[in-house]
Amino acid sequence: MTPTRSSQVLVAEDLARRGQLPAAVAACYEALAVNDRDPFVHALLGHLMLEGDFYDEAIAASTQAIELDPDCSPAYLALGLAYDRRGGMWDQSVLVWHELAEVVPDLVTAHVQLGEAFAAAAFEEEAVDSWRRALELDPKEARAHYNLAIAALKREGMSTALPTIRKAGELDPSQDELFFALLGLPAERLEFDVAKVKPEAEARLFAAGMLLRAEDFFGASDLVRLVLDEDPANAEALALAAYAYLKQEAANEAMACALRALTYSPDLPTALYTLGVVYSRFPGLAKHAARVFIALAKAAPQHSLTHVLLAESLLGLQRYGQAKQAYRAAVRLDPACVRARFGLAAVRLTEGGYAEAQWEMRRAAYYDTRRQGNFWRLYDAYAEGGDS
Amino acid sequence: MAEKKSGGKKPAAKKPAAKKAAAAPVAPVEHVPMRNPDFPVGVDYYPLDEERRSWSDWYDRDPEPDFAAMAASRISDVRVFVSWRCLETQVGQYDEDAMERLERIVEAARAHDLKLIVCFFADDRLAEMNEVPWGKRRDSRTDDYLIQRELSLVQKIVNRYRAEPVIKAWDLGNEAFCSGFETETALEKWVTELREAVREVDPDRPVLLGVDPETLLRETGVDPRGAIDLTERAWSHLTAPYRAYIAEGPVTSGPATYTDSFLLRAALRDLPVVVDGIGVHALEFSAAEEAAYVRTALYSALMNRASGAMLRRWRDLETEKREPYFRDPFEVLVGVVDVTGAPKPVLNEVKRFAAVAARLDPRRYALAPERAAVVIPAERYESLPSLAGLYDPRACLQAYIAAKEAHVPVTVAREGDELGGYHALYLPSPAKLTPAMWADLSAFVQGGGSVVLSYGGGDVDPALREIFGVEFNGDAGPRHAFACRVAQPGVLGDLRSFDARMDLPHYGLVTASGAMVVATDATGSPLLTVNQYGQGKAVFIATPVERAIAQNDPWATPTPVRHLLRTVYGTVASAAGAGAMLECDTPEAEIAHFLGEDDDILLILSHNAEKMTATLTTPRTVATVQDVRGGAPAEVGGKTFCVPLGPNGVAALRVKFG
Repeated sequence: MTPTRSSQVLVAEDLARRGQLPAAVAACYEALAVNDRDPFVHALLGHLMLEGDFYDEAIAASTQAIELDPDCSPAYLALGLAYDRRGGMWDQSVLVWHELAEVVPDLVTAHVQLGEAFAAAAFEEEAVDSWRRALELDPKEARAHYNLAIAALKREGMSTALPTIRKAGELDPSQDELFFALLGLPAERLEFDVAKVKPEAEARLFAAGMLLRAEDFFGASDLVRLVLDEDPANAEALALAAYAYLKQEAANEAMACALRALTYSPDLPTALYTLGVVYSRFPGLAKHAARVFIALAKAAPQHSLTHVLLAESLLGLQRYGQAKQAYRAAVRLDPACVRARFGLAAVRLTEGGYAEAQWEMRRAAYYDTRRQGNFWRLYDAYAEGGDS
Repeated sequence: MAEKKSGGKKPAAKKPAAKKAAAAPVAPVEHVPMRNPDFPVGVDYYPLDEERRSWSDWYDRDPEPDFAAMAASRISDVRVFVSWRCLETQVGQYDEDAMERLERIVEAARAHDLKLIVCFFADDRLAEMNEVPWGKRRDSRTDDYLIQRELSLVQKIVNRYRAEPVIKAWDLGNEAFCSGFETETALEKWVTELREAVREVDPDRPVLLGVDPETLLRETGVDPRGAIDLTERAWSHLTAPYRAYIAEGPVTSGPATYTDSFLLRAALRDLPVVVDGIGVHALEFSAAEEAAYVRTALYSALMNRASGAMLRRWRDLETEKREPYFRDPFEVLVGVVDVTGAPKPVLNEVKRFAAVAARLDPRRYALAPERAAVVIPAERYESLPSLAGLYDPRACLQAYIAAKEAHVPVTVAREGDELGGYHALYLPSPAKLTPAMWADLSAFVQGGGSVVLSYGGGDVDPALREIFGVEFNGDAGPRHAFACRVAQPGVLGDLRSFDARMDLPHYGLVTASGAMVVATDATGSPLLTVNQYGQGKAVFIATPVERAIAQNDPWATPTPVRHLLRTVYGTVASAAGAGAMLECDTPEAEIAHFLGEDDDILLILSHNAEKMTATLTTPRTVATVQDVRGGAPAEVGGKTFCVPLGPNGVAALRVKFG
């Protein structure tokens, strides 16, 4: 049977979707005044309290929703997240995520969170199983990779953890976005006709960048070639060529192009980025990668990922103190950077700062789960009465 | 920075004064007491130290070795917990064996010159102290019959020890027990009856209630201030749930290191306040982290007008070997000695702290007065659906931290309090103030006071225009970036323009109607205005910046945002005569300035888990600086000197001016 929602609930829901927290909470209470046994309202209230970081209130409301309807999957999500974000309630958290993973088996987050709750409760093997299950569902799930890296770090040290950290970094889509940000492309994707691109180097490079972002490597190469035919010393064009090679796994060609670009423009961020990424793929070139990323972090200090890349290269050199500073710089610029948070956790663990490491991982989960917006997916599915 | 390499944590004179110190005359040896009777350090001594024990094992151990160790660690007060269940096994029949155990504790305390605080009704979720089997599961807080039995128990114990000098105070109940009250009236009635029962037998010794006004309100919605006012001592403590609410994060850095003193300041009204429950709440911290946190909390108490400090627990609770482990939000698991009784690093911290506290004679040194206050709005006491009760404490904590970072001697006041004693007030992001408060603010500013008010969302009172000189044009809603463009450099200190990634819940659109626009956002809309009103100044921040800091990530607030807030707070306080008595270049160094006749004492506490060096500049020339615990004074001969601080380190310095 499809659960029905009252008009008061719909008002509260609309306000909640628009992020108007105080008004949505007030609307929920109005809905409760009409019917205080409506699981939708309690689930919504749980979500809203979670959005405000009021965890005890979120726990109370979500628990109420589950009591009223044990199938209320969005309430399980809010409850589990509230337990985890609040901290110190891992045993309850394990039960909730276990339940949610049963009810919505394709919800990757449930498995990742279940693993984290297990890990916090010192059930390392069960935690690893949960993260592996998450990766079966989504091989690109970054937090599962990072958690596996941290588990490896706890068991066998940094050398075992590093490959997984690198792998998670390679899967990070924001790294490509860094390149395009360094290139100066706007965040939004623009539609344009390649045939109408002005015959000027700047316009052609801009268009080549847009095509590269759309993974049209051939189109981009044609434009870059036109620029290089006119000016073989155009560093930006060489950097674009390097990036195109890099994306096609042609590391040597990418390295050659990037190095050539740097001979003409030694501080060009795009070339530094490409060269650093190429170097970092070869463990023997970790020192080179670190040097290049130091230059990149200086050339583009406003981007948190440049500091993350530097920190990761320093991890490879076992310079944990410097890596910590770089990770911290990244977190200061972007507190929501999951990659930096996990990196910082790894460094903290090598220093014996267990509680601080736990905190960084919890913050990573906090930002990651906020970004995902799973609540509304589950809520809508629940409202439709179907599977999530 | 030129530092005199003096090793350890001794102060180093800055270069101009770092000439080879002519061996300064060593002060004559003075007798220093082991403890400071005006600032006792105590500990909670729980009846059971192993989870597998049952309620009947209540204090069924020899307290002698523990008390000897406490005395050796300069601890002076011990709080013990009465088990009603053990003592009154049947109605009106008191168990002699249990009485004998209590007697053994009293004797041990007497033998080691310790003072006891006897808590009658406590819940540690382990010893089942109040679960009398004959109570038939009635609520011991509200059931008239059970309350009568409670009164009998209390009078029996008080009568037995009314002439016993070892007993220092009677504690009616701890917070875990009091959290069972559902209304203020019920709590006040219970406190009144028990207090009268004590007073019938013992007219002198103080009666107290072991609850914190803020944490209990948060936990239960019951405001215990009326009940606390019925007693002679107030207590302040941080509970695990409150920490999870207000500053969940690493305990050795950021907001967590200010939370204890914030609660202390909030609890300070008319009664002396003891900071209670000092210690970490969970088993996940390393011994070093425990020690660093306890050091911070102890010194915070001393630096913020507490009348004493109580540690959370003497011995670690030996938990059962099962995982996952979760007891309760009120859990008290972590002590200052481990399960075998071996001292943990934290006990050394306690000992060192007591040695420093012993040198601070309140008859010789007085803490510099606080002329600035963070005002908790009255809306904080509203319940849901108003979110003010949830937002305001967090915003107030961030305002308190900003003032501390500006080194402003600051306290916490409440809307409705008498404001006459202050020169500067901070009102962090209130959604609304009462008309009476607007009137008070108007009189306060006209009379020469300074106010900083940040916009808290929604509509504003018409008085905003009069006092702050701005016309309110509406709420522009949330923003995802914080931009500041300084229009009038130097007016409110060294402000800098910046763009930061930070969510702002509201932005008040205002136009200046008499006020000077000091800074704007990226589009030119006023962000920061200052208005001369009567004899005073009114500063308006167009966004709830304190709330935004609290609701984003207080451990990763963009540096320029923190700089903006502390610069505004510091500049306003200084201009109003409520500012820091000395300058310090390190925001994370908290300074307490104790003024004496011949010399001053400075306590400098690092809220940073990394090493750092604080450079202090005084208005007068400093002749010598010396560790309060002794050692040779270092000559300075200038106004500036540097103090190296370890991670969460403390320096306690005797400063002589010349």
